[in-house]
Amino acid sequence: MLIPALTVAALFGAAYMAFAVGHRTPARVAIGAGTATLGAAAPPLALGRCTFAAESTSVDHVLTYALMAGGAWLALIVTRAVFDARDGTREAAGSSMGGEIRSGGFRLGWWVPWALLAPTLAILAVFLYTPAVQTFTLSTKLARLGAPRTVDVCLTNFSELLIQDPTRLVLYPLLAVGAVYGARFWMRRTEPGTWNHRFAEVASVAAMLSVFVALYAIFSPGGDGTVKYRPVYVNTVIISVGIVAFGMTAGLAVAYLAFQKVKGATMYRTLLIWPYAISPAVAGILFFMLLDPTAGIISNGLKEWFGIRMPNYRESALLAQAAIIMASGWKILGYNVLFYLAGLQTVSVDQVEAAVLDGASPWQRFVHIVMPALSPITFFLLVTNLTYAFFEVFATIDYMTKGAPAGATSVSIYEIVRVGVDNGDLGRGAAQSVLLFAAVIGVTLWQFRTSGKRVSYGGG
Amino acid sequence: MAGLSAGVVKKGLIRGREWPIHVLLVVTILVVGFPVLYAALISTQTNGEVFSFQLTPGSALASNFNDVWVVRDFGTNMWNSTQQAIYVTIGKTILSLMAGLAFVYFKFRGKWIVFFFVLVTLMMPTEVMILAMFRLVSGFGWQDTMLALTVPFLASATGAFLFRQHFANMPVELLEAAQIDGATPLQFLRRVLVPLSWNVIGALAVIQFVYTWNMYLWPRLIIRQQSSQVVQVGLQTLQNIDGGLTYGPLMLAAIIASIPPVIVFILLQKPFMSGFALGQEK
Amino acid sequence: MSKLRYLALVAVFAIVAAACSSGGTTDTTAASGGGSDGGGSDAPIEIGMWIAFSDEARLGFTKDRAKEFNELHPEYNVVVQEFDSYNTVFEQAVLAVDSGEPPAIIHFFEAATRQALDAVDASGNPVFKSVTEAVAGRDAILGEPVVLDDVVDAARNYYTVEGSFYSQPWNTSSAIMFSNTDMLKAAGVDKIPATWGEVEAACEKIMAMDDAPKACITWPNHSWFVEQSLGQQGELLANNDNGRSGRATEVFLTSDGMIDYISWWKDMADKGYYIYTGAQRDWDGTSNAFQAQEVAMLVYSSSDTTALTEAGDANGFTVEASFMPYNEAKSYEGNLIGGATLWLLNGLDEKTQDGALAFLQFFNNPENAAEWHKITGYIPITKSAEKLLDDEGWYEQSPNSKVASDQLAAAKDTPATRGALLGNFVSIRDVITIAIEDILVNDLDVADRMAQANEEANKLLSEYEQLFGG
Repeated sequence: MLIPALTVAALFGAAYMAFAVGHRTPARVAIGAGTATLGAAAPPLALGRCTFAAESTSVDHVLTYALMAGGAWLALIVTRAVFDARDGTREAAGSSMGGEIRSGGFRLGWWVPWALLAPTLAILAVFLYTPAVQTFTLSTKLARLGAPRTVDVCLTNFSELLIQDPTRLVLYPLLAVGAVYGARFWMRRTEPGTWNHRFAEVASVAAMLSVFVALYAIFSPGGDGTVKYRPVYVNTVIISVGIVAFGMTAGLAVAYLAFQKVKGATMYRTLLIWPYAISPAVAGILFFMLLDPTAGIISNGLKEWFGIRMPNYRESALLAQAAIIMASGWKILGYNVLFYLAGLQTVSVDQVEAAVLDGASPWQRFVHIVMPALSPITFFLLVTNLTYAFFEVFATIDYMTKGAPAGATSVSIYEIVRVGVDNGDLGRGAAQSVLLFAAVIGVTLWQFRTSGKRVSYGGG
Repeated sequence: MAGLSAGVVKKGLIRGREWPIHVLLVVTILVVGFPVLYAALISTQTNGEVFSFQLTPGSALASNFNDVWVVRDFGTNMWNSTQQAIYVTIGKTILSLMAGLAFVYFKFRGKWIVFFFVLVTLMMPTEVMILAMFRLVSGFGWQDTMLALTVPFLASATGAFLFRQHFANMPVELLEAAQIDGATPLQFLRRVLVPLSWNVIGALAVIQFVYTWNMYLWPRLIIRQQSSQVVQVGLQTLQNIDGGLTYGPLMLAAIIASIPPVIVFILLQKPFMSGFALGQEK
Repeated sequence: MSKLRYLALVAVFAIVAAACSSGGTTDTTAASGGGSDGGGSDAPIEIGMWIAFSDEARLGFTKDRAKEFNELHPEYNVVVQEFDSYNTVFEQAVLAVDSGEPPAIIHFFEAATRQALDAVDASGNPVFKSVTEAVAGRDAILGEPVVLDDVVDAARNYYTVEGSFYSQPWNTSSAIMFSNTDMLKAAGVDKIPATWGEVEAACEKIMAMDDAPKACITWPNHSWFVEQSLGQQGELLANNDNGRSGRATEVFLTSDGMIDYISWWKDMADKGYYIYTGAQRDWDGTSNAFQAQEVAMLVYSSSDTTALTEAGDANGFTVEASFMPYNEAKSYEGNLIGGATLWLLNGLDEKTQDGALAFLQFFNNPENAAEWHKITGYIPITKSAEKLLDDEGWYEQSPNSKVASDQLAAAKDTPATRGALLGNFVSIRDVITIAIEDILVNDLDVADRMAQANEEANKLLSEYEQLFGG
């Protein structure tokens, strides 16, 4: 099965080079074919070809082909970039990447910059790159904390997270990817400003959403010896989207209010942004107290003052998720207010003034002047809030619900720790880490793509 | 917020009377502060008072404090967190300054590879490799040590790029003048760059201090002895002082644990904002 | 910058490739362990002890005994290190054995027994040594009389593996019920219910009161209660006599006893009699609900008998302890123990080992065992301690404290009441509690959900046997 797949990759590589990129010289077409083949061959060879062993399942095969396609795609993108660089379509790598080399710079021994960089590089190599590599290694094993040995399990830790129907497994992602590219194609073919273009825009949003739906469809709902990963995916999406939406909307509203030049504005601002410094753990504790069904002010208050018995939020999936979103949204509010306040300073005063003279309503001014001016900040916050929702939410969940009820608040990172540490199942935990890793890379690439230059620095 | 030219838009983006804005702001502040105010109330109460839904200060502040500080020795956790946050903040600032210096003021072979090596770590958050890191650092025998809490966090792409960007925007003449004076790179860094970078240093310091102080997942895994534990995880043991959940001490400790980062944040608010504004515009 | 992302992809790709190609062989890093260095002649030998209790009463007791022992035997220094839960101590010990310096004495809960027996260090030697073997027939060690032969039957039966004690029994409890008798009386329930049917009938009356509490009864969603019920109903959790006549290779999560118990549980919840606090293993939440008089009855560990009885006094109601309610449709076979034992590290030098052994005996001597029982509610671990308490008139003074011992003494000695020895038991317990939570919260069919849990649990067990088995 490996040889035909590699042949397809080679042909695709050649075709891509010739038609999509437009390099038609035999040498370049051959290089395209070659790198695509190498890229496709890398994943199965790295796995020791175990996916083609006798006991592998068709789901394993699908996964392998997906990896091979990914490998070929990456290889081609890189090849294309290298050719572009060679052809001088962009400046030499050194000057654009290394940062602005100042005229001259220090002229000292070659080792001086290396010495300055050595500690940083060493720490990144040991504490980021090494564990990253080990995470991948571990994800192909059955390994337990304290066990005297490990067993190679190839891609089982991954394939058991998915539905066991190869047809649907291939179909859904292809449909979603097709929709995304189709919508993009439609967008390009239509003139901005026309209705057709607007429809195309709607379609492209729908296509993006279809990616999420496709992922929902391919994660296993449990049974058949698979791991019930679909709920974890759903929880992660709900809680992340909830935190981002709540945190950013509230942040913008509060910032808008606090931006008014009233007496004591600085004081007000300080009193609004301090939750930035509160930890996710403490946020969890505070809301645990507020919402506690036995002792908290919300359930007791409703009971004493209105005679309403609050259901225990930890017994209802929806309420528990809402509680986590509330606590996290509250915690991240200060951060969002802070950045929106900074962003509001870039809003053009003249434009606002002109709009007032034109008789624009406050809402119109907000939508047509303020929102567009804030879009870079909004985008930046979207990414940082999403990062928060992926990782930092762990502490809040650990104090508030511990993933309950019935796993309804067990998001991806929580599940990784539950499986990998609390249950000591390192291999499966690592496999789930790889998925989260993929999600982070997806978000980062999307960020690069959308914002080009901006580099975020939210912590870490 | 001096950027607004006064007189043109007197009341910012919303028009109207001033007092409703004051009212709204005060209400917002109370809503935002409510969880902490409520926790402060509970921290004075016994479990009995909490159960009976008493809304006035209770009788147990002193005994709750005793539970937190003496019985549970929360001060040790506070001290551990303080050390960790300070080491990481200082260490990361120094390493980031050095990296920024190397990136901007030196030409060397393979720079783009190094740049790239650092850049890629932006999409490698510790959390996604937490299991492997746990195994790795345990393998060093670093459990329960300050090393495990600090060393892995001393370098980051964030810090290096922040200074790289900042230095890159400084006038070239600075370097030329320094070279004429025959200053070494470290002298140049100390005497010229650092004094011009306090805002950025301050901003990074706030971020790092708060980030480190609030760290939870990693210490929860790698630190196992209460005496080496940091506050965020140490709060766990306050959930149960002697059978059953004890609300008062837990709330008190949560408040105590939040004081240092809030103070650092408020004190360094100005450089934080300006350091960020600078970073944002580029 | 626009090309940067391509290069980023290359790097990620390179990592993936490097990672995968390094696969194939296993890697178990480990450093040699040893609890103490036993070095200098003058400095006392340090004996590390890790325990899973961080609350004032239990940790304080342990530290006080260590201090006394250190005064009696100045050549030793017992250092107690606390952790916040059994799971934590278990995880951390596993790690320490793998890479660090494990202490001489480690406190493992009953569910970790199989894995503690199977634990080996990097060179393949067992991590723990049998206490019986280390005692080697001596009557006293460094003057501290050996109490192993004096241990009460229930604990002896549970912890006897391969014919002798492997670990030193310490805190031992059973699941019993605590009732708010004031509330029961107010509802016209004069006799504390003893069976499932009686509990249900009592709950009907209690919930019909005008000032009915939030619910009638609660207990933590902990697999331990399920195991207790299996013992009562005389059913096995695992094959090979609950893993006692040979290694367990199959668990039974779909047995009649299992389904009946969980169905009854769900039924009680559906009727509004049982209240679920919404979290697994929620000892605190359930205890609080009882203390805040939100429920009339609490099935709990006898470990908190003293605290719960006192909490009743403090909050103005009477607490009475009784046996854990059983299924009247089946003959009652008996409850099992819970709790933890103290394990001795293998490979200690003789002097350190004797010090550790002597401390273990001192720690469980009749006076200390009796005192331990009084402040907590764990059963007196030896017969001499029981007798001491009886002579003192302690049981007349606090009858609640006798219930757990009586319940254990009433049990027949069968594989069912001895409880299961299982690999991956901690994770399998998780599978059970997750399934129950799913059933309670999402209203699922008991038999279907438990069938799924059964599959998961058996997979965990077979994986354990792959990694640890012979």
